[in-house]
Amino acid sequence: MNYEFDEILETIKMTEIEHFDIRTVTLGISLRDCADRNLEITKQKIYDKILKYGRNHVKYANEIEARYGIAIANKRVSITPISIPFDYLNAEEFVEIAKILDKAAEDIGIDYIAGYSALVQKGMTNGERELINSIPYALSQTKRVCSSVNTASTKAGINIDAVNMVAKAIKKTAEFTKDNDSIGCAKFVVFANAAEDNPFVAGAFHGITEPEVVLNVGISGPGVVLDAIKSAGHVDLSELAEVIKKTVFKITRAGELIGRGVAKLHGIPFGIVDVSLAPTPAEGDSIGDILIAMGVEDVGAPGTTAALAMLNDSVKKAGLMASTAVGGLSGAFIPVSEDQAMIRAVERGNLSLEKLEAMTAVCSVGLDMVAVPGDTSTENIAGIIADECAIGVINDKTTAVRIIPAYGKSVGDYVDYGGLLGRAPIMEVRKISGAKFVNRGGRIPAPTRSLTN
Amino acid sequence: MKLTEEQIRKLTIEAINELGEDATPQKVKAIVTKAIEKFPADDSRPLSNELAEGRVIITSFGLNEPGIVAAITKSLSEAKCDIQDISQKLMEEFFTMIMIVDITNSPKDFKELQQELKDVAEKLNIKIYLQHEDVFRMMHRL
Repeated sequence: MNYEFDEILETIKMTEIEHFDIRTVTLGISLRDCADRNLEITKQKIYDKILKYGRNHVKYANEIEARYGIAIANKRVSITPISIPFDYLNAEEFVEIAKILDKAAEDIGIDYIAGYSALVQKGMTNGERELINSIPYALSQTKRVCSSVNTASTKAGINIDAVNMVAKAIKKTAEFTKDNDSIGCAKFVVFANAAEDNPFVAGAFHGITEPEVVLNVGISGPGVVLDAIKSAGHVDLSELAEVIKKTVFKITRAGELIGRGVAKLHGIPFGIVDVSLAPTPAEGDSIGDILIAMGVEDVGAPGTTAALAMLNDSVKKAGLMASTAVGGLSGAFIPVSEDQAMIRAVERGNLSLEKLEAMTAVCSVGLDMVAVPGDTSTENIAGIIADECAIGVINDKTTAVRIIPAYGKSVGDYVDYGGLLGRAPIMEVRKISGAKFVNRGGRIPAPTRSLTN
Repeated sequence: MKLTEEQIRKLTIEAINELGEDATPQKVKAIVTKAIEKFPADDSRPLSNELAEGRVIITSFGLNEPGIVAAITKSLSEAKCDIQDISQKLMEEFFTMIMIVDITNSPKDFKELQQELKDVAEKLNIKIYLQHEDVFRMMHRL
């Protein structure tokens, strides 16, 4: 036989028992040709274009899913950051755009469309300012639209004026969606060094250097890595790194196969595989459990950051070998609400916001799906974002903040969204203030690392 | 919507026939729109032959009982599938069988076979997975 018995059983075990799935196939669509001086025509052009490319997206993904027996959890669409083609609109008009995006997403049968975004790391145009101001209205009046703002980069530094604006937008979004545990904030990401080909919602957008239309794929599979680590037993850390690499190599290969398959059915170019270990609220599908299996007593224990760094690095190395088209965020995600072991660590008091911040310095994203008390000041939200941006800018990596200042809630309470977004315990934020610092405004200059030419 | 050259040629001929002498932009547009509506919708285009071709791997598990191999191979032979390799093991009371099957000459496509084997699996109270060979090649071979 061409394949060993064990090899075939390994694949079946991954897909059937260990929750190995493709987290997302994301169709990136450029909207740069949709601008028109008449808003109604603009909306029609946007709707038509999304339907033109996206109408069979779910169908094609289902087809490939059946053929390979590997589940595709989400089918999504990312679009050009809308502040770029529609820079001439005002806040109310941007909200109209959000509504038509919402409708297009619903009509093609997807749960999220991402790219209600602006890239303002160095400065803001008038349109970008309007877009940021419109975010609370857009996120509270739509269900499927996701938004992001890039406020910092290694090349440009940190735009603190923009950070202050998005902090205000986050607080307002929390208030506008208070009846649903401030869910609007779960659909909004602040970035430093945003990846232009990231397929993972909520932070996905179709970067301005991307082609007309492209298919990117995000893999998943913490459960597979967890089981591999458990069955490796007590081996030393270099051997453990090898175990992780071998496992991730296989799931990346499968991910690329799926991505290329869906792109081929669409008849569009395949973009990248994002080799990320993304947890889900399902038991065992957890990054926290991997860290515990690696040997720390609980997430937050001394050694956690080192374990996460090794995991993240092994994932990247395996991905690089497995595919020529690795991109996006590619690493390990540590969203609190979407990971049972992380939730438990917060509940037990073992994982604080500060330790989580340290962990974000070595993982692929940042403070993700973190709920904090509703009375956290706008300035302290801005401070948290600035801190996270600093980690990204200085280390030349992507960092993100998806923070939920849960309106009317305090430490001991929960926000609960069900489904993939999960539930998060409210984490304590220190009561000391960083207001004076962020209120200085302006831009933190780019670090020496930016001068690479 | 993508049009083949053949479709565009037909479109043009149709427009010319209808218009004759008195062509206006509005008329052309109306006729072309009507002609496009007549084309089979994008959805009906066959996805690709790949779904009906190539080799698949069939893995079945379950409590051992007489007739499992017979039931599966009977259903495959009726569908004119070519079984190229079989490997079977008993682990205590559990039965596992892996087959490599070429479905190119079968009148049934991947989905239909999957459904057929699902019915067999339900009858025998076992699990049967049907997956395209590519996934194993990608994951286990460089």
